[in-house]
Amino acid sequence: MSAPGKTEPTEAIARARAGDADAWGELYREYAPAMFRFCRRALPTREDAEDATMEIFMKLRDKLIQYDDTRSFSAWLYKVAANHCWDLLRRRKIRQDKETEDVADIPLEHPDPNQLDKMIEQSTSDEVRKALGKLGARARMALVMRYYSDMSYDEIADALGVRRAFVGVVLLRARHELRQALGDTGAPAAGGAS
Amino acid sequence: MSDMDNPRDPAAPANPGSGGGDSGGRASEHLDEMACLLYIERQLERVRAAEVSTHTQECNGCRTLLRAMERESRLLTRAMLEEDEALPARLAHFQERARRSMQWIWGVAFGLAATGVYALYSGYIEPWEQQLAQAGFGGTSLLNLLIFQGVFWKGWQSVITLLEVVAMLTLGGFGLAFFRKRLRRGSTALALVLTGFCAVGALLTAPPASAQDVRKGETVEIRSDETVKGDVFIFTHRARIDGTVDGDVFLFTQDASVGGHVKGDVIAFVQSLRVSGQVDGNVRAFTNNVTLTGTVTRNLMAFAELVNVDPSGKVGGSVTAFVQSLNLDGQVGRNLFTFVRQGTISGTVDGKIDAKGNNLRFNSSAKVAGPIRFEGDNPPDVSSDAKLASPVQFTKLEHKAKYEESGYYIWQVIWMAAFVLFGLVLFQLMPMFSTEAVDSVEHYGASFGLGVLVFFGVPIASLIACATVVGLFIGISTFFLWYAALYYAQVVVGALVGQWLLGRTREIWPLIGRMAVGVIIVRLCTTVPHVGGWVKFGVMLWGMGAISLALYRRFQPATAAGVPGAPMVSTTLPPNTTIGGAVPA
Repeated sequence: MSAPGKTEPTEAIARARAGDADAWGELYREYAPAMFRFCRRALPTREDAEDATMEIFMKLRDKLIQYDDTRSFSAWLYKVAANHCWDLLRRRKIRQDKETEDVADIPLEHPDPNQLDKMIEQSTSDEVRKALGKLGARARMALVMRYYSDMSYDEIADALGVRRAFVGVVLLRARHELRQALGDTGAPAAGGAS
Repeated sequence: MSDMDNPRDPAAPANPGSGGGDSGGRASEHLDEMACLLYIERQLERVRAAEVSTHTQECNGCRTLLRAMERESRLLTRAMLEEDEALPARLAHFQERARRSMQWIWGVAFGLAATGVYALYSGYIEPWEQQLAQAGFGGTSLLNLLIFQGVFWKGWQSVITLLEVVAMLTLGGFGLAFFRKRLRRGSTALALVLTGFCAVGALLTAPPASAQDVRKGETVEIRSDETVKGDVFIFTHRARIDGTVDGDVFLFTQDASVGGHVKGDVIAFVQSLRVSGQVDGNVRAFTNNVTLTGTVTRNLMAFAELVNVDPSGKVGGSVTAFVQSLNLDGQVGRNLFTFVRQGTISGTVDGKIDAKGNNLRFNSSAKVAGPIRFEGDNPPDVSSDAKLASPVQFTKLEHKAKYEESGYYIWQVIWMAAFVLFGLVLFQLMPMFSTEAVDSVEHYGASFGLGVLVFFGVPIASLIACATVVGLFIGISTFFLWYAALYYAQVVVGALVGQWLLGRTREIWPLIGRMAVGVIIVRLCTTVPHVGGWVKFGVMLWGMGAISLALYRRFQPATAAGVPGAPMVSTTLPPNTTIGGAVPA
């Protein structure tokens, strides 16, 4: 899951594990911005994101030894970050989403493809980010895990504590919430049966 | 992305216009959103994906939906990956600040430690040393006094060696624990072997023990015609020394009688000790009762229930006695220091007397050449015929319950203010560490567990450090840090209590405010009669564990050296992003 053309920082990881402070500095410099952005998308406020980023890197000190060299470092990093952010949200009891079973029972309105297309055409990245902030914790978390850090369905299921088969449902519901939020911000809503 | 079974979720939305309620639908049926999503995200089986692809080539409506959703995915990814905010300065300099703050902590720690050592030495050690020197415990330092030159340990080279080995093993263990996470698999064994070598090396290089004679049995007797060269250790039921010992005598017995001549010291862990002979050195007794009818050239020190110095008994130096009952009918060449319940002086003391206890009586035959101070429950009973150089300076002990004194509450308020001030200073000096410590308090189990370990372990480790090559400075510094942590512990627990009441915060001044509220509450709880002490103890354990946990995390290997402000890292699309995946023709 590392970025294209980006090599794994194997040497820096090895040195960081051996206690090389400079190596840890390299890793931090390399990944802190991405981690902050992840937290910024996943958590409600900027302060939360800053705190969480620091806490994640503090946590990584303990966990670096558990990292499996054969896997992508950034993927592993995102997994740690996702677990941390989700734990944080759960602890704060601001998780407003209903349980999976409830989610499964709520029918979703089928969108008008043309209207959806138009809405997406007119929406800017900034609007999407603002709309993202209006979503429930789980919806936001699911979208961030999927579309920011490219986590697999298995990883998302694991992080959110839902069955893998429901990850698609969670993501689809999140998209619907997002469309609704985008509609509220001015973009044309994509709801309504065709 | 891995392939996935068609989930066929009951929740999958059906396309009202398609008549296909199945999430996947068939090739001839219209696609629903779920099928489109799973197709875009490559979560469909190959066969089903081919069906979807085929259908979208034929169906304009489904193709539009699929493309719209795919564009939606692209929009989401783009919106999320865009670098709309620079890395906050707080994060950019996070590790550099952490490093700087740690340097500060060390500076403060060493400064405080140095100050503390000086204060300890000038305030406590030096006066005690002078007093002890007067009592006959000669030595150039307290450490020498207690460990190396003091009579307690004289001849106990093997014990010192053992302590050194234990310290080496302890340090090895700490080292192993500290470096454990840095060591790759397999290297742990190497570290263990190295630690073992250290321990064996310490054993091999340790100086050989001095000449010793260990005697065991039901009864051990050194006859009057026998002379023992060197120290003698006696483990028995009854011991009788009528001969000569040219060294020290260590007694671990029930009854012991020293009627002969001991040229060194007598160290006794016995129930009943009787010294009727001559001891050229000191007598140190941890006993039920001691009776001295002979002569001790230097000093007598006793932790006992009863000490009798008979009229024929003579101590050339001082007597230090922690006893229930003391009867001094003989002669003391220098001073008498005693904590005693019932003391009776009928003999001669050529120096001064410092006594504390219940009752002290001077009979008519008593002679004291120096000043007498007595702090007790009752005034001393002094016979009119007693020959005292000066009247007894008596101070009555007061046993008023502290809760009944108004001054107690005033002091509590002062202590509260002091704690708040202490916390304020520490939170300002070490904001990040303090925040981490407060966070760690919430790890209840780890904090309590670690707290118990540190609370009891650190003083022991400090003592071991003082007694070995590690050095006095490190030992005392560590002890002072531990002592300061006892107070800091109450501050961090107070901060958590404050957060419970007023809500969480990461900002330092609001945190200080919460700390102040919490500290006041904690201190109030500690003043509750009977349970307050336990509350205080629990808070100390808890907070100390949290501080240790925060420290432990700080000392993890990952603390970076100076990291400059983190530059913006351009994060490109991850390779597995499904956007741009199989797009229908």
